[in-house]
Amino acid sequence: MAAALIAAATAPAARAQDAARGAELAAHRCVNCHGENGRSGMADIPSLAGQPAGYITVQMILFREGIRQVPAMLAFAEGVPDRDIEDIAAWFASLPPGPPEDRRPRDAALFAAGQAIAGPRNCGVCHLPGYSGREQMPRLAAQREEYLARAMREYRDGQRVGVDSQMNGAVFGLSDAELDALAHYLSQRD
Amino acid sequence: MTPSRLRLGLFAALVAGPALAQAPAPAQAPAVPGWAVGRPEGSTLAPHAPRLTVTPLDQVPVSQIRLPPGFRAEVYAHGMPGARMMAEGPNGTIFAGTRAIGRVYAVSRNPDGTTRTRIIAQGLAQPNGLVMIGTSLYVIAVNRVLRYDNIEANLDNVPAPVDLTAAFGLPTEQDHAGNHHWKFASLGPDGRIYTNVGVNCNVCQTDRDRFALLVSFNPDGSDRRIEARGIRNSVGMAHHPVTRELWATNNARDWAGNDWPQDTLHRIRRSGEDHGFPFCSAGAADPQHNNGRQCSEFVQPAALLGPHVASLGMRFYTGTMFPEQYRNQIFIARRGSWNRERLTGYDVVVAHLDPQGNVMRIEEFMTGLRDDANQRFHDRPVDVHVMRDGSLLVAGEQMGAIYRITYSR
Repeated sequence: MAAALIAAATAPAARAQDAARGAELAAHRCVNCHGENGRSGMADIPSLAGQPAGYITVQMILFREGIRQVPAMLAFAEGVPDRDIEDIAAWFASLPPGPPEDRRPRDAALFAAGQAIAGPRNCGVCHLPGYSGREQMPRLAAQREEYLARAMREYRDGQRVGVDSQMNGAVFGLSDAELDALAHYLSQRD
Repeated sequence: MTPSRLRLGLFAALVAGPALAQAPAPAQAPAVPGWAVGRPEGSTLAPHAPRLTVTPLDQVPVSQIRLPPGFRAEVYAHGMPGARMMAEGPNGTIFAGTRAIGRVYAVSRNPDGTTRTRIIAQGLAQPNGLVMIGTSLYVIAVNRVLRYDNIEANLDNVPAPVDLTAAFGLPTEQDHAGNHHWKFASLGPDGRIYTNVGVNCNVCQTDRDRFALLVSFNPDGSDRRIEARGIRNSVGMAHHPVTRELWATNNARDWAGNDWPQDTLHRIRRSGEDHGFPFCSAGAADPQHNNGRQCSEFVQPAALLGPHVASLGMRFYTGTMFPEQYRNQIFIARRGSWNRERLTGYDVVVAHLDPQGNVMRIEEFMTGLRDDANQRFHDRPVDVHVMRDGSLLVAGEQMGAIYRITYSR
């Protein structure tokens, strides 16, 4: 009930996004690293297939504005118009999500350890119980494991902020080993 | 660390124990983010997504706005994603700060009455606090304080600002643990800069000389003075034009139910008064953090502004365009709730004062942006500003627009 209310609460998008146009744009600048089908086969590069369009849009704007600083993204984000960002986001959001081809087998103990952290840390409240994400909050299920681990370290260490500081608080105080377990657990979810 | 946090932290460490025996339990780990302390099991309430892209003019929801008879709303400026707190230069330029998108906008008027918008600063962390002193624009971005001299003459070629960060010595984003670190700024009648230092959590026992304060400084950053203590996070303040008393809005804590505590309006009669947070909110004991304190020992709120409404920018109406009944009354922007199952706020209200400065009533003024039937919103009013001609500007953060409200008989 509450989730439905919140999903409905957002003001309407100002224009219909054009996923087909987004596919054209992405073909020239995104898929080399993020994967032809939006599932990254490169270490440390996140999969974008099935990510909420709002998440991709917001992150691209944070890249463009110099708020989120990732050297590899600089050239691709600089000066990109809103419309291109929204169309690219719509295309990635339309792709079926799934694990990378090189996902490692599940480590039962590590998975259990990660699961035990995810509950008390309320990960599923914002990212939803299946970790599919919503609006500005990303899909975590089947994301690349080493990317998740690095992203959470950056939030913990104050090297990354989102549109608010929720994630900094959510991972505050977790050890590297705990973040590794959490990353394994989330990367193994489908 | 509070006992409840400690228990939860230990629980997290214990259940994670077997696989992580090599990892020492972190000493300061909260089990939940500070902003979520008290969150009930199963709640999926979360902050609404911001809109950081340009909203085209034909999508700016000015036609939804409802006002009392005789008032009219128009779009003054648009295409400014995340536009928030406003300040006006001597030549009439309206400056608007932002949070996530890190920009400061300048809106100037063309000879034909239309407006032109420029970005005069970008890449800043939460540049939400703006104040104009003479021809200098001060921008407070968390702890950074930047002074842009002679700004209106240099809108196309903004020179490097004077960096006053060290002189002000405000807490950093890290000091705040990412909580309530953005600023509102206002120029007092005494020539000092007034601002907020929000609490470094949702609700917690905190250093009450350092957080949950209103503070003032000389414009060079010297002579910090605590104006009010125990105010959780004020993102709106102004001095009464006649009594010169400081008034401030306050955002109350989250996760204590749909209807408690209400956001509040505060009247600061003397510098240094204690308004009670975290022991008391909205005049009543906090369920987790009261520590046996009597709420009567603290200054009571001047008015209750509604639960979770996010009361932000406020100004006294000092113009002459609006009817006399609005003179020296307080216009307050209510950005709108997220921590409540049904939406509240998304409007502008007026606090009407009697001659002694008591709040007689809170009256809706600008409505229509909250759609109760469908539980959605069209825009989020975050600040108000009285222009020299007596019209009222309202910043709409979600759609990146500034609305202008005029009155004619």
